[in-house]
Amino acid sequence: MTPETETEPTGSDQPNGTEQPSGTDQPTGVEAAELGAGVRSSAEPVWRRWLPFGLLLLGVLVMLGAQSQLYSGQERTVAAIFMFVALAQGWNIIGGFTGYASFGQVVFFGVGGYFTAVAMSHWGFNFWVSLVVSGLVAAAFGALIGLPLLRLRGHYFAIATLGVAEGMREVVTNVPGLTGGGAGISVPTVGKDATTAYLGNDGFYLLFLALAALSVLVAILVARNKFGFALRAINQDEDAAAAMGINTTRAKVSAFALSGLVTGLVGSTYAFQQVTIFPQRLFDVDITVLMVVMVVIGGSGTVLGPLLGAVALQFLSEYLRRNFTEVHTFILGAIIIAAVVLLPQGAVNYVREARQSGEWSLLANVRRYRL
Amino acid sequence: MSQFLQATIYGLLQGGLLALIAVGFSLVWGVMNVVNLAHGSFVILGAYVGWKLNSAMGLDPFLGMLVAAVVLFAVGYLLQRWLINLVINGPIFITLLLTFGLDLLIVQGMNITFSADYRSIKTAYAGDSLALGSVRVPVGRLLAFVIALLVTFALVALVNRTRTGLSIMATGMDRGAARLMGIRARHAYALTFGIAAALAGMAGTMVGTVGTFNPAAAGGFTLLSFVIAVLGGLGNMYGALVGGLLIGLVEAWGGQYLPGTWVNALAFAVLVLVLVFRPSGLVGRAYYSARQEV
Repeated sequence: MTPETETEPTGSDQPNGTEQPSGTDQPTGVEAAELGAGVRSSAEPVWRRWLPFGLLLLGVLVMLGAQSQLYSGQERTVAAIFMFVALAQGWNIIGGFTGYASFGQVVFFGVGGYFTAVAMSHWGFNFWVSLVVSGLVAAAFGALIGLPLLRLRGHYFAIATLGVAEGMREVVTNVPGLTGGGAGISVPTVGKDATTAYLGNDGFYLLFLALAALSVLVAILVARNKFGFALRAINQDEDAAAAMGINTTRAKVSAFALSGLVTGLVGSTYAFQQVTIFPQRLFDVDITVLMVVMVVIGGSGTVLGPLLGAVALQFLSEYLRRNFTEVHTFILGAIIIAAVVLLPQGAVNYVREARQSGEWSLLANVRRYRL
Repeated sequence: MSQFLQATIYGLLQGGLLALIAVGFSLVWGVMNVVNLAHGSFVILGAYVGWKLNSAMGLDPFLGMLVAAVVLFAVGYLLQRWLINLVINGPIFITLLLTFGLDLLIVQGMNITFSADYRSIKTAYAGDSLALGSVRVPVGRLLAFVIALLVTFALVALVNRTRTGLSIMATGMDRGAARLMGIRARHAYALTFGIAAALAGMAGTMVGTVGTFNPAAAGGFTLLSFVIAVLGGLGNMYGALVGGLLIGLVEAWGGQYLPGTWVNALAFAVLVLVLVFRPSGLVGRAYYSARQEV
């Protein structure tokens, strides 16, 4: 967490003397940079615009290099972290940027996973085709349920999506002819039925890394293009956004479908990695909650927040599982409560605001949402 | 035919109990705009209080539930006063996550303390049943149903007729104005949450008397509370009663006539359809309108 935040001030200091020839608009340049990616003026130096992409590329290269240093157990753990980075970024599009708390996000994970399993075992698709089609199916499903459900706001949307996810789990459980029902379904990985050879620890590490990188890339693009601004406007005041000429329905449904696409791709890969999947796991509400916790703790509506949140929480959760097997969920609950009370706006937003106002006290931070 | 009648009776009796669970959930949601994901764990906690009193001291569960109500009221009051009030003005994910964290904490705490074994509160009479023609009515369930209805009506009277209840309603309608009138909003919120927890705890003891329970059952009660609160319209206490009876019936009939576990999907299908077509609930006007809430 610290190195990332440390680079920001040095980054904005550097152009002061060296790269920016005109000294006149310098103060505004620094101020704009403080406000975050969304409102940077066009006067910002070119290198700053490419910085996130560069950091992403660097991160991917580092993780590629690190792969040979990990033994297989660690490789699986790190692959799980990548998976949650991608899931958190997927939720961030609808929950963070748009402000619609999708509490049934796991439905895309399940739809993607089950489509892949069914396509590979019943219809003889190979994995790569299934992966792409699963993502598209999940996106289409998002658009389909988004049209009626995105008319609801606040808790109502949260609960309606939760209902869809729980309902889908029951539907999948009750069509055993296709999905294997509660007994689960297995993807063929060996023998002549195997359409694609099992990828192994190394393969899934690379695939989840690619998905994580893709999700971060999508987040960076959304954060800075017009679509992302529309989503942020909807988050702040939907009626005002509509009055400004944003087609809110189209923007919201696109955002939901996009987050469904990312989540569906992850679900598809997860299904192949697990070989045998069960409705209880693929539609587990805890997965949704983990995505939400990661985004909220890191900082919703930012690119860096979900990334940091996913890495930190998954790392912590794995550590607790190893060392405090009996009580790890208990401790996790306590950590969630503490994080929500102390950092309700998320770590990244907290640092950003604290740098602007100079108020670093967590106790002062608690006051913001207190009654 | 007698099968149908039996399912109907069973559904109504179960529905009354569900209504008692959901009415507090609905009240908290309506007054504070908090969806309490830990509500189901309060139910189970109440069941354990009744079970402990019964197994350690031999206290009758229908008396033990009063103790459960007092204990759960204290737990709920303190949680709201010193924890949830800290983030009550935040965006909705914040309160959702906080109560989810609480749920994890309470459910795991119960798992550690009481183990994950199924428990049931034993009484001499709850298993007996009255015969009405060909239909059998279990005494324990009938008693639980009657108590659940009485408590729900008592809650409505409390909220509509007493100064305390009116202060809760006023805080829910317009907190700023209520505070200007001298109502302590923090106290009113804490009372609301405490009452909801107390009712859940009472219902929990009765759930433990008429059936079995374990910590893992908490999530199911939370989800059913959602469905019932939405069906009835938020903060609408009679609505919760109607919603509870309806869901009880739907589940009983579904269990009787649908194959497999399709019955579980039924409640959620009802939920989504109601949200899409009639988001203010089936009964009258909701306390909050779904599409104007921000």
